[in-house]
Amino acid sequence: MKFTWFHLMPYRWLPADFRQRYHSVWVDLPNGLYDPEKGHGLYNEYLDQLEYAEQCGFDAVAVNEHHQNAYGMMPSPNIMAATLARRTSKSMLLVLGNSIVCYNPPTRVAEEFAMLDVISGGRLIAGFPVGTSMDINYCAGQNPATVRDKYREGHDLIMKAWAAREPFAFSGKYTKLRYVNLWPRPIQQPHPPVWIPGLGSIETWDFCAEHDYNYSCLSFSGYKKGEALLKGYWDRRAALGVDDNPHSAAFFQQVCISETDAECEKQWWPHVDYFFNKCLHLYPGTSEAPGYRTAASLRAGVVAQVGNTSANHGKNKSWKELVEGGYIIAGSPDTVRQQIEELIKKLRVGHVLLGCQIGSSPAELVNRATRLAGTHILPKLRHIFSDFEDRWWPKPLPQSRRAVPGATL
Amino acid sequence: MSEPRSRMLAVGSGRPTVEVVEAGQGPNLLFLHGAGGVVWAGALPLLARHFHVYAPVLPGFGKSAAEGLELIEDQLELFQHGFDVMEALGLDQPLLVGESFGGWIAGEMAALRPKEVGKLAVLAPIGLWRDAAPVTDLFGLEISELLPFLFHDMKSPAAVGMSQLTKLMSDKDDKTDEQVEQLIALLMGFRTAAKFLFPVPETGLERRLWRIRVPTLVLWGAQDRFIAPSYGEIWAKNVKNAQVVQIERCGHLILQEQPEAAAKEIQRFAGI
Repeated sequence: MKFTWFHLMPYRWLPADFRQRYHSVWVDLPNGLYDPEKGHGLYNEYLDQLEYAEQCGFDAVAVNEHHQNAYGMMPSPNIMAATLARRTSKSMLLVLGNSIVCYNPPTRVAEEFAMLDVISGGRLIAGFPVGTSMDINYCAGQNPATVRDKYREGHDLIMKAWAAREPFAFSGKYTKLRYVNLWPRPIQQPHPPVWIPGLGSIETWDFCAEHDYNYSCLSFSGYKKGEALLKGYWDRRAALGVDDNPHSAAFFQQVCISETDAECEKQWWPHVDYFFNKCLHLYPGTSEAPGYRTAASLRAGVVAQVGNTSANHGKNKSWKELVEGGYIIAGSPDTVRQQIEELIKKLRVGHVLLGCQIGSSPAELVNRATRLAGTHILPKLRHIFSDFEDRWWPKPLPQSRRAVPGATL
Repeated sequence: MSEPRSRMLAVGSGRPTVEVVEAGQGPNLLFLHGAGGVVWAGALPLLARHFHVYAPVLPGFGKSAAEGLELIEDQLELFQHGFDVMEALGLDQPLLVGESFGGWIAGEMAALRPKEVGKLAVLAPIGLWRDAAPVTDLFGLEISELLPFLFHDMKSPAAVGMSQLTKLMSDKDDKTDEQVEQLIALLMGFRTAAKFLFPVPETGLERRLWRIRVPTLVLWGAQDRFIAPSYGEIWAKNVKNAQVVQIERCGHLILQEQPEAAAKEIQRFAGI
């Protein structure tokens, strides 16, 4: 088992009457609400948390990409990963990921990921999401009718650019480049491991199986609802005749860890409430552009990543309902460990991405949770699935060949 | 009044096969629908009393398979598709009528091959843009919120009828299979419109308006809140033979909200 500390980086100061005054946390929330000076503190606090996760024994730290979004303040995850590349040395860097279709030309993604891999000594995991409709259609203006086709073409270009050792010409429908010639190229060969975030579309599962990529199920609804998604994934792999290696799948789960079960609700509820009732406050009109999902996916009733408001079942729920429904795993380290073990075994996932910071949770609470996880939870679960090879994990340079930041000063 | 006939029309290999809705007798009228598809109500049945109305349906709408959209890659191929359909129907210099999204396509066709179009009538066509009067975001509103932008009078029969549809868009998971299919059909049509109009429906038409030399009627609802009637002035200024007419007590969907007035204007313009 590998454990990743996953940050969303929410803004902490949405007003009390946010839901009454604004129709969405995303796309068109006026940025007058954002205070850059507070943001300065917050970025540094959040990066501290990711660095601390390494110290506490997490195998990887994760960042992702959202735009015009008050719960996800990383329009450029690569900038965050770059700071982490210098300030960490043991943990892997999961960038989940870069929305390929938003970069013109997409070789920008190949270049920046190569830079991160080289700076970090080969610790990068490269994530290639299609991106939410809010991000790629409404914020980045990408055409919903063609965006999946463009995604596939961009992906093919990036992979070819990583593999090539001579310049080549690329004549695609969306990108034409006479000279593709990546400088630098990644340390990891043939390329950094690729993870594809998604929810439950068959197209995503097939894409992962076809290319032997990791499927990362990113849901805010938690592991109990996630079981059906992972069942779909494993059934699909079986149907395709692909192995059932648990490391081919990752699952995101939000957790609230306190010293004891008794104090957990009191400590975490305001921040959980902030997340489910403010951060997931979305306007249906700009949550899914027509064509973003295929007719087949619509027909299958598969919910969009977070966009489809009917998926936001976490809204207006009590602490008890959220805990019992598995939206959050909350309690003492023992309680949380038991449920994570259940998650791992029921969903059959070799990677768990833990959301240890949630909503408006303050640094002290979060850092304590990270420490408790590192001390009492991770060591007891690491052995699970150890007889399976993890083909989706980075192969960094050995320590002896790694540069040390500051060593040449 | 006779019911319209529907048939599938093949326009050539490697090109989409599309539905054509057809009714009436008289001079040929080729109708290009808007983002809601072909709705055989309002002015179309009235026009079919005087014209032979052909209403081809773009891929993603009606019975025209959504997959056909992959065969129409860009604007130029969309306009060429219009001519492919015209040719397959054997229409020679028809009266070309387009509404909203279809009004844009009709205008572009007239600019592209002026000799193949008899006369042009566009109804609240899109394709132009002024920062001072942004066109409503067709793809960034809930359907129920969109309706007031489409109708002047929300109590008009057409508006009331259409608001029934919006009930489908609720976020409750209680839809019947039939409703799900209706919803998917609506979304697939919007997807087709989005392919050419997302995210900002400025298409470059303004640079080409001067090429439209055929007699042109531009109809606008005086209370159009979707695309302001002031856009009609750009047509008046750039299209040499344009008559711009506003219809009172009328929103964006002219054929639905003021069918008699719209049909009358089109007949007058056609000289019938």
